[in-house]
Amino acid sequence: MTPERFHQIIEAYGADPRRWPEEERAAGQAWAQMHRQQADAWLAQEAGIDAWLAADTVAPPDAALQRRIVASAPVRGPRMQRRAWWWSGAAVAGVGLLGGVAGALAVSLFVLSEAVPPVHDSYLTSSFGGSSADWSGE
Amino acid sequence: MSERDPDAELLEQVGRHDAAAVRTLVARKLPRLLAFATRMLGDRMEAEDVAQEVFVRIWKHAARWREGEAKFDTWIHRVALNLCYDRLRGRREQVRDELPDEVDPAALPDARLEARSRDARIREALAALPARQREALVLCYYQEMSNIDAAALMGITVDALESLLARARRNLRAQLADSGLSKDKP
Repeated sequence: MTPERFHQIIEAYGADPRRWPEEERAAGQAWAQMHRQQADAWLAQEAGIDAWLAADTVAPPDAALQRRIVASAPVRGPRMQRRAWWWSGAAVAGVGLLGGVAGALAVSLFVLSEAVPPVHDSYLTSSFGGSSADWSGE
Repeated sequence: MSERDPDAELLEQVGRHDAAAVRTLVARKLPRLLAFATRMLGDRMEAEDVAQEVFVRIWKHAARWREGEAKFDTWIHRVALNLCYDRLRGRREQVRDELPDEVDPAALPDARLEARSRDARIREALAALPARQREALVLCYYQEMSNIDAAALMGITVDALESLLARARRNLRAQLADSGLSKDKP
């Protein structure tokens, strides 16, 4: 690092080493340490301009501008939501239909394949008919 | 091996029309672009128009974005810069005369008045710089671009960039001295 190059760097990039070219930052800082008086005089001159520049602020974008820009983007959100809603409705209907079909199938199989279970004859009579008691003698 | 563009992944999602990615990209880039255009044009409303136009270009190109040629951040600055120059060409030398909106001083508290006045002086000094000097200063100082990226964006060498930066700072110093304002007290 030469005095000329150090001067060029701070004339272009200012007094803050963080703004100096990365590949020359360490050498520039080392030069400033070794030539404190000369470096301080040059740095002070540029620090004044840095302070002026740093004082300028720009207000952040307002919410309305952000909304306008976001709204200008092609996004798949609403369409996907409609599609998702349609699919979820179809899924519920499908599950219901499958349940009905399964139930009907089970009943059909039962009717076709199951024999009527044997029952005791006594079950075929009610308590009002076919009583074994014979009241004819009375 | 070069580092991956820090915006690449987000941009891929934007290219797939992901709504959350769109909001994230706007939050990440809009303040930066708006500040850039505001300082280049010296006019907030025009800067907002430029920022919106840049995002329209982003939406158009996101799906086809390929890494390698330029960083995404550099590319959007180039787009913004071209749009700013279109407007500057349109109004030529009017920039110097266009200060931020006139306000009734009595309606502002002292602190806000002082800040607005200070901002106006700095903005006026920036606006008075030749366009290429202002461009170099805004890119390197305010946008914090590396000298290599800024030089590439401007299509010049790093040496030429440093020359523009040094002249910009000398011009600013002269302007501020002429205005009788202390360099240490913005």
